[in-house]
Amino acid sequence: MNPRLHNLQAVTRRHFLESSSLGLGGLAMAQLGGQAADNPRADDDPLKPRKPHFPATAKRVIYLHMSGAPPHLDLLDYKPELVRHDGENCPDEYLKGKRFAFTSGVPKLLGTKQPFKQRGRSGIWMSDAIKPLHEVADDVTVIRSMKTDEFNHAPAELLLYTGFARQGRPSLGAWTCYGLGSESENLPGFVVLISNGVQPSGGQGCWGSGFLPSVYQGVQCRSKGEPVLYLSDPPGMDRDMRRLGLDAMKDLNEIQEKELGHPETRTRISQYELAFRMQLSATEVMDISREPAKILDSYGAKPGAGSFANNCLLARRLVESGVRYVQLFDWGWDFHGTNPNEDIREGLTKKGTTTAQSVAALIKDLKNRDMLKDTLVIWGGEFGRTPFREGRTAGGQVLGRDHYPDCFSLMLAGGGIKAGHTHGESDDLGFKVGSDLVHIHDLQATIQHCLGFDHTRLTHRFQGRDYRLTDVHGKVVKGILA
Amino acid sequence: MTFPTGSLQFVAAFTLLITSTGTSKAQNTTVDFNRDVRPILSNNCFQCHGPDEKTRKGKLRLDTREGALELAVVPGKPDASSLVARLTAKDAEEVMPPAKTGKKLTPREVEILTRWVKEGANYSQHWAYVKPVRPAVPDIRDPKYVVRNPIDAFVAARLIKDKLTPQPEADKYTLARRVALDLTGLPPTREEVEVFVKDASPEAYEKFVDQLLAKPAFGEHFARLWLDLARYADSAGYADDPARTIWKYRDYVINSYNSNKPFDRFTVEQIAGDLLPNPTTEQLIATAFHRNTMTNSEGGTNDEEFRNVAVVDRVNTTYMVWMGTSMACAQCHTHKYDPITQKEYFGSFAFLNNTADADRPDESPTLPFWTDEQLERKAELDSLVIDLEDLLKSKKPTEWKAERDRLAALKKDQAALKPSTSVPIMKELTGPQRRKTRLQFRGNFLDLGDEITEGVPAAFPPLPKDAPKTRLEFARWLVSAENPLTARVVANRFWEQLFGTGIVRTSEEFGTQGELPSHPELLDFLAVDLQTDWNVKRLLKLMVMSAAYRQSAKVTPEMFERDPENRLLARGPRVRLSAEMVRDQALSAAGLLSPKLLGPSVKPPQPNLGVSAAFGGSIDWQTSAGEDKFRRGIYTQWRRSNPYPSMSTFDAPNRDTCIVRRARTNTPLQALVTMNDPVYVEAAQGLARRMMEKGGATPAEKVTYGLQACLVRPPTAAEVERLVKLHADAKAKFARDAAKATQFATVPLGPLPKGVDATDAAAWTVVANVLLNLDEMLMKR
Repeated sequence: MNPRLHNLQAVTRRHFLESSSLGLGGLAMAQLGGQAADNPRADDDPLKPRKPHFPATAKRVIYLHMSGAPPHLDLLDYKPELVRHDGENCPDEYLKGKRFAFTSGVPKLLGTKQPFKQRGRSGIWMSDAIKPLHEVADDVTVIRSMKTDEFNHAPAELLLYTGFARQGRPSLGAWTCYGLGSESENLPGFVVLISNGVQPSGGQGCWGSGFLPSVYQGVQCRSKGEPVLYLSDPPGMDRDMRRLGLDAMKDLNEIQEKELGHPETRTRISQYELAFRMQLSATEVMDISREPAKILDSYGAKPGAGSFANNCLLARRLVESGVRYVQLFDWGWDFHGTNPNEDIREGLTKKGTTTAQSVAALIKDLKNRDMLKDTLVIWGGEFGRTPFREGRTAGGQVLGRDHYPDCFSLMLAGGGIKAGHTHGESDDLGFKVGSDLVHIHDLQATIQHCLGFDHTRLTHRFQGRDYRLTDVHGKVVKGILA
Repeated sequence: MTFPTGSLQFVAAFTLLITSTGTSKAQNTTVDFNRDVRPILSNNCFQCHGPDEKTRKGKLRLDTREGALELAVVPGKPDASSLVARLTAKDAEEVMPPAKTGKKLTPREVEILTRWVKEGANYSQHWAYVKPVRPAVPDIRDPKYVVRNPIDAFVAARLIKDKLTPQPEADKYTLARRVALDLTGLPPTREEVEVFVKDASPEAYEKFVDQLLAKPAFGEHFARLWLDLARYADSAGYADDPARTIWKYRDYVINSYNSNKPFDRFTVEQIAGDLLPNPTTEQLIATAFHRNTMTNSEGGTNDEEFRNVAVVDRVNTTYMVWMGTSMACAQCHTHKYDPITQKEYFGSFAFLNNTADADRPDESPTLPFWTDEQLERKAELDSLVIDLEDLLKSKKPTEWKAERDRLAALKKDQAALKPSTSVPIMKELTGPQRRKTRLQFRGNFLDLGDEITEGVPAAFPPLPKDAPKTRLEFARWLVSAENPLTARVVANRFWEQLFGTGIVRTSEEFGTQGELPSHPELLDFLAVDLQTDWNVKRLLKLMVMSAAYRQSAKVTPEMFERDPENRLLARGPRVRLSAEMVRDQALSAAGLLSPKLLGPSVKPPQPNLGVSAAFGGSIDWQTSAGEDKFRRGIYTQWRRSNPYPSMSTFDAPNRDTCIVRRARTNTPLQALVTMNDPVYVEAAQGLARRMMEKGGATPAEKVTYGLQACLVRPPTAAEVERLVKLHADAKAKFARDAAKATQFATVPLGPLPKGVDATDAAAWTVVANVLLNLDEMLMKR
């Protein structure tokens, strides 16, 4: 093939590159001169690894989302005052002018029933509902002063992942791959794993590419069944037969390329080869039966299941193979108290312990492989839960809490985040942020900072405006950076 | 106004002159405000020195000449102008734009601004806000440039200026496939192509085009584009994303294109069909255009909040679709680049703020549809009820028990009678129900300012004097002869469909942040021409009849480097097919595509994901039976939270909001779809069986048949030979494993016809699978 033509593939992507704030356009153009003709990562490959604005502390992200929003007051934010006033009417000052998803009238304050203690040398407060996490207390930062603007699941999740409470904007993972590309040539840069097939309320918007090119959208992989949609060859076709077909396809495409001279044809040939490789490597990486029993046990993972434990282990396997951003969703954290599984006593201990085992195993596993230092792990929900009992279930036996956006907790580890640190606090009863408020946009700015980006400069022009993840807000939370 | 010619290349040429020979030569050309100066000011200065008073710094505005002259510019005297001084300041505190903005002017840009000041600092109105006038058609005499209609004259004038020559006309086969795909979304049939190729008369191509324009498939194809704009979906969006019945609107769009409804009527019906005198059913269905906004049924949400969100979406969509203007900025603050104030935003909002819909789960108001039988039954029940009521009127409540029971039963039957389908519509509120519109600070529906009445932004032509300030007048204003934008925006979008890129590349943005047109006079010619009768088919025909459209798509490396995106049209268009076209073409080549028109959306096969929405039901569906499995992509049920996965991989949007331009990516995930998705495997099996049955006796004949069915052209010997070899290799391999052969030849299409050898059929399926994946298949040629 004419090497000049090959290099010109880069130009076909100019439209995208020009819109990028990273000045990649200039970069790609400048490299037109001397690139080896058969380099599989062509300059125009939108997922080719790229350097961020400044040296990064995190090269990759694993985001563990507890969909439904965990009751932080029973897990990470200990409020003895709230325990003291348990059962009393909620003071009017906290209700005035507020709307709640399922509570009206005057609800009763609800102190935690979970035993709390300071854990690790750092003395981070954690309840017994997440015992396995006690062992990694000295590896994490807990933020107890988170705030969001939304009190319903879908908008809150969209705000968290796209910076905007409605569908249509690119997600955190998409922005990450847009900025950094992907290190893997055989796997997508952004992978989404969902426990037991229950999607988060925000739907695919939580991992969409919005107005960025669709190559940046998250690819949902499954721990059960076919790991990527349409990955398997059809029944009756084996690898050798596929190869036969691909070779013929390549020959015919090359005839076409010679005749018309369009570089896009060369790109198509290489995308088919990548698909062929991906069929193999994605199948391999998604097969956890290759892991030693000790590792499987530590996560609580079982080959063939669709569990959160399996997904945590897969997350490690994926980032190890060069995937840039792995997003997990685990449904079942909407602790309203409408059934015993949603009770903040035993129900929570059950859910908390099972999942905490996998989270702790993941953190330790990454640490053992010397990957925690540049892998940012985040654990949390889309908002918090009320310091009072949920209205609908107030008469029942089961104890639950309503959605709460004004103050909640979140946990981070690795990737340049302080180890064994607590940031911010809530007020005495847990209704408001007491100090060091961290808004969702601040969290986003901080994650992008760890990845080496100035969040105000990682932008994309769309419909006449430069958009960014943090909209027009966001301050980096310096206090949690190592 | 007169347009600068050669805007794109001029800038590049200008750079060259400065860098290679200093500034002396460049000064021979006068700086043009719209072409050269406004983009620099808009990108670097307007954010702080633009229309928005609230964020304006140092009281300086540079978007008007008065503003600039007051504080920063002395016309003719760059040395005395603080604008120039600040741009070139060495002191980090002084220099503009400030370092923290991350913006920095290039020496060339500083040079342009300096010269602009020197030449008098003249401003002119943004080009797209000036009403287009029919430009003189260039007189092209050079026979190297074929001029079939005025389009070619404009294109040639530009090519001559750039010393480029066009490609010759593409061969008839290429042309037949290209124009059929462009006008109907489907490849032409073998017979149609043969007739066209054999017809040696000069009108052969025109006849072929006319046939395509008359096909019902034309409306199905162009409706797809409009449905992206209309954010049409079969679900209501947000967390639960429940099903929504609104397919009658989709059919309205298809029918409108097929009947070649003038675009101005099409516009008025959709924005305000309900306000027309004695609106027809069709005109009421049309108003579903703005009922495609999302409805939120999640617990605890405030209906007024989401009704407000819907109205905001209607304002933004209307300006985006008709006027290529992004209004979204002005919802929260006065626009930073375009002359649209926040107050004016809510003036437009007010036109759309008085319909009866209010984010209700039942989507009311809706228009019900009854079948003839239902209507008969309804009439029968109605009359029985009236008779009985009359009869019982004079009786005491204790008497006539049997009749009373019968009446109750009849009323129950009446209530149980549900319409066969329905469509949400717009209905204007009247009297005391009408809402007052107030300015919303930072776009917050609870933080309200002054009351605002209906009106259009002052930068655009006013509504006719004395016209009532209604949604109907607003609709008419969009397509009025005075509106400088609509005809340009619409013509540009059709151009983009056919040529791959718009004359204005940013087809969604014609404001100051958009790009300048590559051929400004051509755009105005098309716009003015369209405005005469808003005849869409005529406009499309004009475009496809042009020599520019009919060129070969061949390109040399030199030419590609010079114009990678083919903006100058020295070659024919060649871009990837849309998601729907990729699917429809494969089914068509396989002989499986159903020709059935219109009706409720269908559910073609999609992988069972075992996934459910957080609160909603399962996302999986039961595949439609019979031919509904093989309908065109436009009829596929569109669920916003889970768009049909294979089409989404080919860049189909989820349609939460208006999408003007789809991306055209080329990814490995797309390869997985067309290689492995059962829909495409089934198509390969269908095609293989056709090749075996109809292709002829020898493998070479069968291959030729298959290639022709897919690529609509006679294949070359090399191509045939290569696929004959593939067939032989695959057959030899399958011969060693009969079970695999049977599987590959029959799952999912079903058992082979009697007497067909499974090994042979499987090998032909491998060939067909390759054919359906060829680069040439996925692209216009």
